[in-house]
Amino acid sequence: MMVGLVVLVLMLACCNEVAKAEYTLDSARECLARQEDTIIFGLIERGRLPFNAPTYNYTFLTFLLRDSEAIQAKAGRYTNPEENPFFPENLPPSVVPHYPFSEFLHPAAALININKDIWKLYFHELLPMFVASGDDGNYAQTAAADLSLLQAISRRIHYGKFVAEAKFRESPQCYKPLIRAKDREALMKLLTSESVEKMVVKRVKKKAMVFGQEVTLDRDVKGKKYKVDPSVVSLLYQKWIIPLTKIVEVEYLLRRLH
Amino acid sequence: MMIRFPLLVLSLTIGALRCRMAKAESSPDSGKGYTLASVREALVRQEDTIIYGLIERAKFPSNSHTYDENYAEIKGCGSLVEFVVMNTEALQAQAGRYKNPEENPFFPENLPPSVVPSYPFTEILHPGAASININKSIWKMYFQELLPLLATSGDDGNYAQTAASDLSLLQAISRRIHYGKFVAEVKFRDAPQDYEPLIRAKDREGLMKLLTFTSVEEEVRKRVEKKATVFGQEVSLNSNNGDSGKRKFDPSVASQLYQKWVIPLTKEVQVEYLLRRLE
Repeated sequence: MMVGLVVLVLMLACCNEVAKAEYTLDSARECLARQEDTIIFGLIERGRLPFNAPTYNYTFLTFLLRDSEAIQAKAGRYTNPEENPFFPENLPPSVVPHYPFSEFLHPAAALININKDIWKLYFHELLPMFVASGDDGNYAQTAAADLSLLQAISRRIHYGKFVAEAKFRESPQCYKPLIRAKDREALMKLLTSESVEKMVVKRVKKKAMVFGQEVTLDRDVKGKKYKVDPSVVSLLYQKWIIPLTKIVEVEYLLRRLH
Repeated sequence: MMIRFPLLVLSLTIGALRCRMAKAESSPDSGKGYTLASVREALVRQEDTIIYGLIERAKFPSNSHTYDENYAEIKGCGSLVEFVVMNTEALQAQAGRYKNPEENPFFPENLPPSVVPSYPFTEILHPGAASININKSIWKMYFQELLPLLATSGDDGNYAQTAASDLSLLQAISRRIHYGKFVAEVKFRDAPQDYEPLIRAKDREGLMKLLTFTSVEEEVRKRVEKKATVFGQEVSLNSNNGDSGKRKFDPSVASQLYQKWVIPLTKEVQVEYLLRRLE
């Protein structure tokens, strides 16, 4: 049984193994699915703390998050093309030896960073939707939980670069004319699969119900309470994560032939 | 960073004062009373945090370079994980994390002071509590015993993310174990006549026996394993009850963690706390 479990865990670590191999549409979709869990755990953990308004004093928040990113930058986080900082200006260089991350993307990918939009949606739209009002004094922990969740959401949205590249490589003849014509609308249409999007929204809602449930040793009861409202999770995906991922895909493709 | 401090302190003070004045209906957490029931509830909720942390760490392979002192050659810090933990703790200390008696740093030496206005955390613990920090044992357990059980071998280059994930899980485990101080205090207040003679006699064994409820511990272990099974499953739209049988990690690692380390170490903290309780 241990061997079976190890095999399963290895399979599920596929996200990380493809850092060395090629990305495919299938592997990208699998990675996106795994990222859903990370985002939901992040929502649950942030939802554990009340709003804690003093955290959102601008100077305090940016000081804490910017300096946290600086530590991680030194440790090499942003040398991975899957990672995009919220404070890219004056980020210190990595002090760790260079790691050969897969060079799958077109070089222009490095210029695409929509974290300013993600920041705005997170603090102005998302947080008020699922966090209870109140103050428990845990401002540092609150900011840390925010950073963790922001990073997970940012990673998922910027994964659009990899999705776009995989789609382009699969059928370049469909994309090239639209890219040359700089036809954003048509590219967006080509990238959009409503059935897949509906499935993703349904799946994250189901995951939120599974991961957010109260687990006790008593027999499971229907009509339970959830640690985060599953409809907030599906709204997050439907209104912001999916559309912003597609914007990243379009922005990436528009630079693909440079 | 030094230049920003006075401005930061000033803006935080104004902000915090405004917030507290406007806070007509504050959260029940501020100035909360700890009771046996509330303490048990907190421990149960902490199980979820630890399990999510285990799942997120299991997402990365072992990434042993993260733990290799010779890999990154960062002055004064040893391995990459030590660098990330030390520096992140220093930052969080400035932001007031360790003013909360529920929080205990892994590198308490030379931790910078908090620059945020002090928050009135509930003062329920005996002052001796502050000197109880068993994070060195937790650190050892985490890297030498837990990680080899949890992470599959391999290297994906994501050392910073691995270290961040380690820090998050270490903090969750440390918080749970040191919560023993609060457990001990409410138990003591509940029945001081049971504890005082043993404390005066410095009877560690007697205290440990008094604190131990095997049936409760077995219940915790079972519940943790159930949670690890539920939260660690692969959820797809295909299966009816959400369980496709695939797992993100081995649930028995979670129950082992609790049985072998979390529960015993929490009790050790309780005993250490009680031994100082009458000072």
